[in-house]
Amino acid sequence: MSLNVLDSIRTRRSTRSYDTSRRLPEGIMAALEEAVLNSPSGSNAQESHCVIVQDPQQIRRVKRFAQGVSGHPAAVVVLCSNQKEALEKGGIDTSETLRFVNLGIAAAYILLTAQSLGVSSCPARSFHTKAVQQLLRLPEEVVPELLITLGYADQPPRPKTSKPSREVISYDQYGKEHI
Amino acid sequence: MINTARNISEDELHNRILDFVGYVLTAARALYKEPQTYGPMRLVDTLTKSVQLLEDAGVRDASIEGVLAVIRDNRWQVTANPDVFGEALDEAIKQLVEVTLQDAKLQKAE
Repeated sequence: MSLNVLDSIRTRRSTRSYDTSRRLPEGIMAALEEAVLNSPSGSNAQESHCVIVQDPQQIRRVKRFAQGVSGHPAAVVVLCSNQKEALEKGGIDTSETLRFVNLGIAAAYILLTAQSLGVSSCPARSFHTKAVQQLLRLPEEVVPELLITLGYADQPPRPKTSKPSREVISYDQYGKEHI
Repeated sequence: MINTARNISEDELHNRILDFVGYVLTAARALYKEPQTYGPMRLVDTLTKSVQLLEDAGVRDASIEGVLAVIRDNRWQVTANPDVFGEALDEAIKQLVEVTLQDAKLQKAE
């Protein structure tokens, strides 16, 4: 059974401790591929590249240089950006800014696809870029920018604390609330 | 302090040492650019990992278990609620002072 988008958004929390006895559900890789391939890309540059790491030894190697990764995930998605392609296809704006926006959207798609299938996740930016690049044999222009760990949580999520909506969302102009 | 039997193989211990060194080096490198609250977080995680590594290698010290429990219970607050985590660190330090004073008393008695 899968959750719809809003339920996935409401229920997803970052998970830092995983149940190591549980394997990811069958079909999740196909679903993740679909999520990545269908995520939008500014100027249609499609400069993003994802490496899905499932081999436990390779996960351990990546984790060794990723201090922001906690627990023992069943898989790690390494979201990368091809800097050369970004510049060639999308110009300076894509090279400097839009490629991060594109990766962010792809990341959201991955997080919600996983959650919809009952798989927990945690994005992590704290890792050594060059080390991960070497371990994954990425070409020089393909730079890892974000990791997403996947697995089954072994602890209930902590309650989420969010700012009041008026501090985050305005209507028609800054600071104006919805009537 | 208790010396216990090593509970993992030589190869696994080697890997855990490398994991630990990798963690500390990458954490230190990144802290130049990361939020200030990440400093205490990485330090207490280093503490937890180093104590675990000692245990894996067959060295355990029961006198610090209370200190570690305080850190473990409050670790999640390190970035969410730094003031509360600061108080937890004070409590852990207080417990370590008590252990230190207890040790001093025992040494005097010898």
